[in-house]
Amino acid sequence: MSYLFAILFYVSLGIFAVGLALKIRQYWNTPAPLKIPTTPAPTTQAGVVFRMFREVVFFESLFRAAKWTWIFGWMFHLGLALAFVRHLRYVVSSDAFVWPLINNWLVQFAGQYASLMMLVGLLGLLGRRILVDRVRYISAPSDYLMLILIIIITVSGIMMSFVAPIDIVGLKAFMTGLMVLDWQELPSSVFLIIHLGLVAVLAIIFPFSKLLHAPGVFFSPTRNQVDNPREKRHISDWAKNSGLDSADGV
Amino acid sequence: MKAVLIQLLLVGLMLMMGGAVASDRVSLPKYPQPVGDQCVEPTDIMRREHMNFITHQRDETVYKGIRGIAARHSLKDCIDCHVGYDAQGRAVPINSEGQFCESCHNYTAVSIDCFGCHRTTPDEVSKVRQFTGKP
Repeated sequence: MSYLFAILFYVSLGIFAVGLALKIRQYWNTPAPLKIPTTPAPTTQAGVVFRMFREVVFFESLFRAAKWTWIFGWMFHLGLALAFVRHLRYVVSSDAFVWPLINNWLVQFAGQYASLMMLVGLLGLLGRRILVDRVRYISAPSDYLMLILIIIITVSGIMMSFVAPIDIVGLKAFMTGLMVLDWQELPSSVFLIIHLGLVAVLAIIFPFSKLLHAPGVFFSPTRNQVDNPREKRHISDWAKNSGLDSADGV
Repeated sequence: MKAVLIQLLLVGLMLMMGGAVASDRVSLPKYPQPVGDQCVEPTDIMRREHMNFITHQRDETVYKGIRGIAARHSLKDCIDCHVGYDAQGRAVPINSEGQFCESCHNYTAVSIDCFGCHRTTPDEVSKVRQFTGKP
């Protein structure tokens, strides 16, 4: 079982990293031929950075669009961020200089209880897909499956944290063992098998799924463009040096 | 060129995570050997559940007054067997670096709040001393 999971982790992480890199390259190279920032938009580059910050951290446009989706979505994502930081304790060495940032009561406490916030947010989002008619109409099977997958991962994590504790020293040995190619035994726990197995599945499907909104938000032309079409003429990269870029070219 | 950069980045990342790349062994917590050869519960159960046992025992003791031999999971008894001793034979606080509680709790970033109130070394009338004559 330990070897199976070791291999699964290498493969899934590989697919995740390569797939994500390819996708980001694709986004990077996709032309944005038109100047289309959603107004009111910032007129400076610094303003765009600030707008993107609000978008990524507070989900500003979602807040303006749909309050219920925002509250559940934001609860889930904030919980996910806190839980992620807490999970670093399983891979970062206790000799590392960043260790005091992980090994402190606040981070560990917040990360543990954030899992409950994640679950509330996820159940809210699932309820929205089932109970709101117009959302149910546009929901595809993958929308449900993605939510259910993350819900099971969250619940199995909550079980290990609050109900059926596992040997976390053994778990850290296993995880750090993967990193230094010195494989250790995986502690026995049904919840751990479910948790890690589904995380590997999640990593594998990430580069092919709607979860790509994570890198994708940074490439949204309506969010990442400066509103200065009169001050500075906008020419798509592929149009440069094509004869179309002179003032009277078009 | 791009590939080389990515490789450098990855190696840097791994180094940042603890400089563990150079060693071929996983680092594990190290702590002094306890007295005796059997804990109050099997080792694999203790590894998972010791805090639940101790917290439960606290309630039994505080609410029902169960102490002494009947208190099977008393924190005092943990310390009696698991505390380490320095060269002069003095008990070293069990939550100090490299000692029984601290080594694993620091390894996994779990804070201990027992010792804000409880003592970290055996007291004068430790059960182990009474029954075994060990220090």
